[in-house]
Amino acid sequence: MNVCGGHERAITLAGLRSVLPPGIELIPGPGCPVCICPEEEIYQAMQLALHEQITLLAFGDMLRVPVNLPLREIRTLEQAKAAGADIRPIASPTEAVRIAAGLPGRPVVFFAAGFETTIAPVAAMLAEGVPDNLALLLSGRLTWPAVAMLLNSGEAGFDALIAPGHVATVMGPEEWEFLVQEHRLPAAIAGFTPDSLLAAIYSTLRQRLEGRIFLDNCYPEVVRAGGNPAARAVLDRTLDVVDANWRGIGTILASGFALKASLAAHDAGRLYPSYNDPERSRLGQMPAGCDCARVVLGRIYPDGCKLYGATCTPRTPVGPCMVSDEGACRIWWAGGVIASGQRETV
Amino acid sequence: MCLGIPMQVVEIEGFNARCEAKGVYREVSLFMLQGEDVQVGDHVMVHVGYAIQTMTPQEARSSWELFDELLEAEDLTAVPGGEHV
Ligand code: SF4
Repeated sequence: MNVCGGHERAITLAGLRSVLPPGIELIPGPGCPVCICPEEEIYQAMQLALHEQITLLAFGDMLRVPVNLPLREIRTLEQAKAAGADIRPIASPTEAVRIAAGLPGRPVVFFAAGFETTIAPVAAMLAEGVPDNLALLLSGRLTWPAVAMLLNSGEAGFDALIAPGHVATVMGPEEWEFLVQEHRLPAAIAGFTPDSLLAAIYSTLRQRLEGRIFLDNCYPEVVRAGGNPAARAVLDRTLDVVDANWRGIGTILASGFALKASLAAHDAGRLYPSYNDPERSRLGQMPAGCDCARVVLGRIYPDGCKLYGATCTPRTPVGPCMVSDEGACRIWWAGGVIASGQRETV
Repeated sequence: MCLGIPMQVVEIEGFNARCEAKGVYREVSLFMLQGEDVQVGDHVMVHVGYAIQTMTPQEARSSWELFDELLEAEDLTAVPGGEHV
């Protein structure tokens, strides 16, 4: 299993599945921060932008992710923007600082979803100091606890792990040692090129065949012992690790980031009222008919969803996995995969 | 979103660097490489506008070549209206 949209993208676009011998399956797992961003957090961002006098910033692919509301209502940030809300896509935390500095007196809320690699730059932005009018709606997640949760569930459905290269670049490879220590699972950290991914696949196969299980590093260019100490220091300084909800999966212990109390003045969760209505039905689930929850957990391949390529395509996405550039459904569709011919993984 | 791009530093001012890859220039923050002695001409791995690690020129070049192949493969199957973040 891989747990990184970047890996899945490289695997699919390079056609690696078609050149591997039968018996080796490459399963895309929980590797898309946009796909697992709980819909109540997207809803909150949307309502803030619609009802408060603020400017909302978000990474681009968040804008088109739908929440569970009737079709006639505003269901995405993009639709909220069309309805007049001031919502702007950005590509970097530095842009958030620039925009907020250019709008003195106007509250700017940065809705930041991402894994460690993305949240470390957000932490760096906070540590460096942000304008008074910039607040964060943070939806940051840690990747390894999701893998630990799958392995502890008793029905993991995979027997080796390709660990995410840039998460390990920032946090250090040591985070993934639990795979070997606690689960005797062959594991290798890979980069984003076919050669690094093939090296990682080969390494895990050999580990299994020889019974010599260890955490291999197939991305030594940037993955070093201890990771990036300055990045880890800014994360420690600005954010706490908390239990967090994953869309379609549920709460995973110690898997999310939250702003430290000392940064309360920049915490949009504390500055603004919650717009989440407990009455809303099907909260936290995927849209009707969408199988993203099982896609994200690696239980089925994208084409195992009945809607894949039928009513759900990148132009008319039903679930988040078809919206995000890191969603397995979108990657498979963009890669021209009509049907994999592969069965359910569990 | 965790995709990074190797870039070469062409100018440094405090924590801000101007970096280049394949003729494209970007402002990049070196805030997370404090403690590393980053110089003009060095290569760094950049993610959402922040350098997350240093790398050698050879490593940067081999990633570029493979990225190019990937992007070419992608262009052939590009999703109409799809944007890449
Ligand atoms: S094909 Fe669409 S509806 Fe089905 S799981 Fe993927 S995103 Fe959800």
